[in-house]
Amino acid sequence: MTAVTEPIHREIEAFLYREAELLDARQYHDWLALLSEDVQYELPQRVTRERSQGEGILDGTGHFLENQWSLRKRIERLATEYAWAEDPPSRTRHFVTNIRVSPGEQQDEFLVRSNVLVYRTRGDDPTYDILSAERYDVLRRVEGSLRLARRRVLLDHSIVLTRNLAIFL
Amino acid sequence: MTVTAQRVQGPEEYLAAAQEKFLQRAYLLAGLFSDPEIFRLEKERIYARAWHFVAHESEIPRPGDYVVRYVADDPLIIVRTESGEIRALYNMCRHRGMQVCRAEAGNAAFFRCPYHGWTYKNTGELIGVPFHREVYGTEGLQRGEWPLISVRLESYEGLLFVNLDPEAVPLREYLGEATFYLDFYLKKSTAGLEVRGAPDRWIFPANWKLGADNFIGDAYHTAFTHRSTVEVGILPVPDANFHKDGPQAIVGPWAGGYVPNLPYAALYPHLIGAMRANLTPAHHAIMDHDLWQSHSTLFPNLSFLNAPGIMPGTPPVAYFTIRVWRPLGPDRMEIWSWYLVERDAPEEWKEASYRAYVLQFGTSGTLEQDDTENWSSITKVAKGQLARTIPLNYRMGLDHLQPLTDWPGPGQAYPVDYTEYAQRHFWTTYFEWMCSNSR
Repeated sequence: MTAVTEPIHREIEAFLYREAELLDARQYHDWLALLSEDVQYELPQRVTRERSQGEGILDGTGHFLENQWSLRKRIERLATEYAWAEDPPSRTRHFVTNIRVSPGEQQDEFLVRSNVLVYRTRGDDPTYDILSAERYDVLRRVEGSLRLARRRVLLDHSIVLTRNLAIFL
Repeated sequence: MTVTAQRVQGPEEYLAAAQEKFLQRAYLLAGLFSDPEIFRLEKERIYARAWHFVAHESEIPRPGDYVVRYVADDPLIIVRTESGEIRALYNMCRHRGMQVCRAEAGNAAFFRCPYHGWTYKNTGELIGVPFHREVYGTEGLQRGEWPLISVRLESYEGLLFVNLDPEAVPLREYLGEATFYLDFYLKKSTAGLEVRGAPDRWIFPANWKLGADNFIGDAYHTAFTHRSTVEVGILPVPDANFHKDGPQAIVGPWAGGYVPNLPYAALYPHLIGAMRANLTPAHHAIMDHDLWQSHSTLFPNLSFLNAPGIMPGTPPVAYFTIRVWRPLGPDRMEIWSWYLVERDAPEEWKEASYRAYVLQFGTSGTLEQDDTENWSSITKVAKGQLARTIPLNYRMGLDHLQPLTDWPGPGQAYPVDYTEYAQRHFWTTYFEWMCSNSR
């Protein structure tokens, strides 16, 4: 285990802010470079259950269930001339807060929890979409630099309140 | 042609004018995608009368398992009782109308109203009323007369349908010869299908009919709308025109289309034998022409898609999704998208198939992303006063295509999928349900 020192905490915060900046700027290839080769990126389904039945997170399901290959395919698609869902592009803003860091199971890995609020508008439509979630990340130090090795996004909705997930959380 | 923004008095008159224009010339008035008064009539005339898919049997395998589903605004608990029978109970306490079930899924022998504690068995029977004798007297409330309202529920090959209309024809009669085509989707394995997880649900500003209209027969849009997905190489097809030369078939409340030169569409190879054994010689004749039944809609708002995807490290894999375009308003729909897979396929194949679905369909699917963008845009424009009077062109294939004379299946079929016979069939059916003079 690698201890979480104050400089490491600050470095991880800076990593998450940088990552959010790249997503909002739609610099997806640069964002992809922050992910490890074996990245797992998941946003499971959620259903409302009685309190005694847990949080309703459905393991093995996904609004996203991605690896490096499928994320790259999504990003290549967005770069084509025919990706109408994001052309003209959405304006998004990722607000990342409540960052909590603990040592990971492996050397040079950290468990990072954060809250994220994503604001999205399109065109001249006066309405907006807001997605709220908690993210469970694993960050790994690879050759000196942090990489996102795992992200599990737990959405605070059972119904996704935006027309599509052509954006990343 | 010239267009005049003539004032239209009310929804009946608008519908009658729209029907006439459509039947005479295959022109569709765009206001049908946005009019609030027409939407109100759709709820009365279609949603309160037609058969609606609500769940697959595999979602509630054990006694007590339930899911809460909707027909437009009407909430239903779809529950398997202790005897194994499946019921559809209206999710409304008979005392003050509170929802007796406020989870989306679970397992319960009883549903207890939080307001005053009236308690119902999962058969709907009222079995508990707090202070019953004191507050109603011994004769005052006959519990047997106040069960949760049961709604008609019938099934076809694991698909559970409900109907709010006690007078409606039985499901099998409604489906008629459409079962021939549904069997292509539902009988691929002897072990049957299972749903993975829950349906994906998402809400966006578009009219429900745009989903139904697209899936029933709009193969033409794949070449342009979905070109980006083909370009990045995640569909095992030569180019974005892959749907053009597959036939289109129409029967009763159903229509759909085929992809040519795609034998078994990357179905797990060991299932092909089972699929052939479960189907009839007429089905074999279609499959033996290397045609794969891909998209379709069952009126009013249930659509199907069986398609192949590319995943690394494995041959192309097929996936199967069914979806409901739930109307929430004239300009809002909720998509419910189920992923289903043959129970007896190997686990690693199921995993690849599911991931292919997630990449292409559902909330984040690259194909679905572009569809929802189109449908939102159409709905927004259709609200314009002039848009109400603007005819949209539904004439593709009308002037030069002849039906196939040797199609092995029931109903009528046309030689290509780049035609609008199936979409015209949707709208003809729609007007039959909606217009007073046809009812």
